Amino acid sequence: MLILKNITKTFPGTKALDDVCLSFQNGEIHALLGENGAGKSTLINIICGIYPNYEGTVILDDKVLKLRSYQDALETGISIVNQEIQTIPDSTVAENIMLDKLERFQKWGRLNWKELNNKALEYIKMVHLDLEPGVKVGPLSTAQKQLIQIAKALASETPVLLLDEPTSALTEHETATLFTLLRELREKGKNLIFVSHKLDEIFALCDKVSVIRDGRWIGTDKIQNLDREGIIKMMIGRETSDEYLGVLEPDRDTVVLEVKDLFLKNKVNHTSFQLKKGEILGFYGLVGSGRTELAKVLIGEDRYQSGEVFVNGEKVIIRSMSEALKKYGIGYVSENRKEEGLILDFSVETNIGLTIWDKIRGKISRKISRTKEDKIVLPLIDRLKIKIASPQQEVSSLSGGNQQKVSIGKWLAADCDILIVDEPTIGVDIGAKEYIHDLIWDLAKNKGKSIILISSDLPEMLKLSRRIMVFQNQNIMGTLDDLTGEPKNNDEVSLKIGGLMI
Amino acid sequence: MKNAGEAALEKVELSGKRSTPIKSMLGRRETGIVVPALLLFVFFSLFSDSFLTQYNMFNISRNLSFYIFIALGQAVVIAIGGMNLSVGAIGGLSTIAVGHILVNMGLPGSVAITVGLLTGITAGFLNGIIITKLKLNPFIVTLSTSFLFTGLVYGISKGYPYTDIPKSFTYVGRKSFLGFPIVFWMLIIILFALYYLYRHTVLGRRLLATGGNENAARLSGINTDRMIILANVLSGFFASMTGVLYVSRMGSAQPATGQNWMVTSFAVAIIGGTSLDGGIISSIGLFAGGVIMVLIKNGLILMEANVYFEQAFLGMIILFTVSLDSIKDLLKVLKNRNSED
Ligand SMILES: Nc1ncnc2c1ncn2[C@@H]1O[C@H](COP(=O)(O)OP(=O)(O)OP(=O)(O)O)[C@@H](O)[C@H]1O
Ligand SMILES: [Mg+2]
Repeated sequence: MLILKNITKTFPGTKALDDVCLSFQNGEIHALLGENGAGKSTLINIICGIYPNYEGTVILDDKVLKLRSYQDALETGISIVNQEIQTIPDSTVAENIMLDKLERFQKWGRLNWKELNNKALEYIKMVHLDLEPGVKVGPLSTAQKQLIQIAKALASETPVLLLDEPTSALTEHETATLFTLLRELREKGKNLIFVSHKLDEIFALCDKVSVIRDGRWIGTDKIQNLDREGIIKMMIGRETSDEYLGVLEPDRDTVVLEVKDLFLKNKVNHTSFQLKKGEILGFYGLVGSGRTELAKVLIGEDRYQSGEVFVNGEKVIIRSMSEALKKYGIGYVSENRKEEGLILDFSVETNIGLTIWDKIRGKISRKISRTKEDKIVLPLIDRLKIKIASPQQEVSSLSGGNQQKVSIGKWLAADCDILIVDEPTIGVDIGAKEYIHDLIWDLAKNKGKSIILISSDLPEMLKLSRRIMVFQNQNIMGTLDDLTGEPKNNDEVSLKIGGLMI
Repeated sequence: MKNAGEAALEKVELSGKRSTPIKSMLGRRETGIVVPALLLFVFFSLFSDSFLTQYNMFNISRNLSFYIFIALGQAVVIAIGGMNLSVGAIGGLSTIAVGHILVNMGLPGSVAITVGLLTGITAGFLNGIIITKLKLNPFIVTLSTSFLFTGLVYGISKGYPYTDIPKSFTYVGRKSFLGFPIVFWMLIIILFALYYLYRHTVLGRRLLATGGNENAARLSGINTDRMIILANVLSGFFASMTGVLYVSRMGSAQPATGQNWMVTSFAVAIIGGTSLDGGIISSIGLFAGGVIMVLIKNGLILMEANVYFEQAFLGMIILFTVSLDSIKDLLKVLKNRNSED
């Protein structure tokens, strides 16, 4: 049994945890819930030695833990799947999985690659990754990296396993496999702590739920005694109104973006589609199905080998993101906030301001007008409910979900005509997700902007998109037109989508 | 009721001042370096009679300017996350170009200056183009081009200095204005211009953003290749400017000019708080870094210490400044640990 007594943790300007007491039983999956910035990751990082300085006591099996590092935690029997993806790009899948135990595969000072790869393969299979142990991790997708991290934690075979939003980048299918695995571990008597913003997952998987808000413990209860509304209310102190957004009336005669027979080897396979003005077009599919790859070609990050692209009816060749933005008003919210979305050492304000500097600088002085920057940035911080001590706070010190909000905020500030949003709500809490959905909807419905929504989150897709293209293995398997978005049709549409994916 | 955004806006306006949006100019790093620079200055004024003499001050401020000019060539590329191992070679090439034009071709100073600066700009442009278009590591690229440029220096000069530099050409490098060397005034103007560039302009902030995270900057619509090329051009410009000024100061164009710049440039830039990870550059820090550099050299001579130890001092100071942050963290951990027990 793992017991936390009176845990308090203070960062400069924030009390991340305030006198939290909790206990976690063996043979249980215990959900830790709370808004973005509530203190979940902080708590988990304390348990596994990543934050060695805190007030209070952590007790594991009647022993007080004084961990100085994660290495200590591993030796004590605690491992973590970190919220942020931390794979080493130039190492192989096997190395990444076995990183903290490489010395086991060493003989006479030499790494036994065969043994290493064989052992890693067990865990690769366990998480249903379809990869060779010897391939490099760098070019893999976010989801694949996420699964590698999970495999890495599993390979430590510790009695306590902490999972900080392990499913944020996974699709339903991958999540289901993971859950089967976690249930097996529960049967074996392991102590599992699970963090997620997806309530369906909590109900499907967990035995117990604890909620923290603003660093304080709010309550703990068995899952049987709880319902959705109750949990949400505990988390955010109000009810959400996950209501039906209504109909979208795109300008069907105005095609803002058209793609004809686009091809890039191994990435985009002879794809064609049209995006209308004021439309939210969904790209749905499993991880690695070619949606992000297509987006990257559209914004000029990758060059296509053949095919044609038209913006507002005019044939164009887009060579870079900067051209996409400046010439054609195309924006792209990356799915990978850490590597591609944010400048972590810079302030929240600077990160959001990145795309708008051109518009707010003096003609002669070339000086950026701080007041104008504030006028655009501060209301966005407010609308997205980004939890920060000040707009000058470094992004690296924000909680994961709040970092994601900054990454989206930057592109909402940019005022693009065509916005490609790639997994916009990864790691965002239920309340904030609703705000982001409202903002995206508002762009299309009231401002006449056109949106391509890439998401593996089916409910999100059904809520926002009125036309969904289904991707599989770089191919478009089919398109569902004229969706109404009414929740009563959701099951039917899901079935149709499932039918398109063989 | 006010919302958080409005409240924040109000707070900003009320307090009047605000911390820098990019940790650029007056970041925490600088206090760690400005204070030692001041202390060193006070120390030498108290313990050496000849330190505060007009002659010595003139010398110090002129040397200071040259050190910082050399460092600028490095700092502007470090700030975008790169480096330039060929600063010295570019400086040498410009020196030789100036000497060749003035002495061998007998053309006027204005032509020499123009060609000297264009040499540096072209060399920097070459570095930048190779780094971005061939997607090569700046270490490899500038290491190679430093051989290339040094080779040109010796090829053109055959190893001989150009000594018949017209007297008029030495005006800027030797004369003073309002009690300070002209080059010192140039330094002040340049540092102010850089402050303005990095603190207030879109271009400057884009350069820093590129240094902070090149991928994220590019995917935010910043033309990062252009930023990298530009930083390299700036680096080349500063290197060649320093070369030209050396000729003016020495009254001769020496092919050996620039040979020891590489180390100096890194030392002053790093002591001056330029982040090796990119994204941070500071005018005040660079100034303080230059002060420390010059005082170590000058002070050791004045104190009649063994000047051969100079490099050892420098090494220790660099180590000290780069470890300042880590030392602070260590102290914090220790403090927490003590308070727990
Ligand atoms: N290094 C730090 N410096 C300052 N504040 C920090 C630091 N790390 C975390 N915080 C603050 O502590 C609070 C709790 O953060 P934490 O990461 O634990 O939240 P979380 O519950 O995991 O949120 P999310 O769901 O977004 O991941 C946040 O307000 C965050 O800004
Ligand atoms: Mg978290």
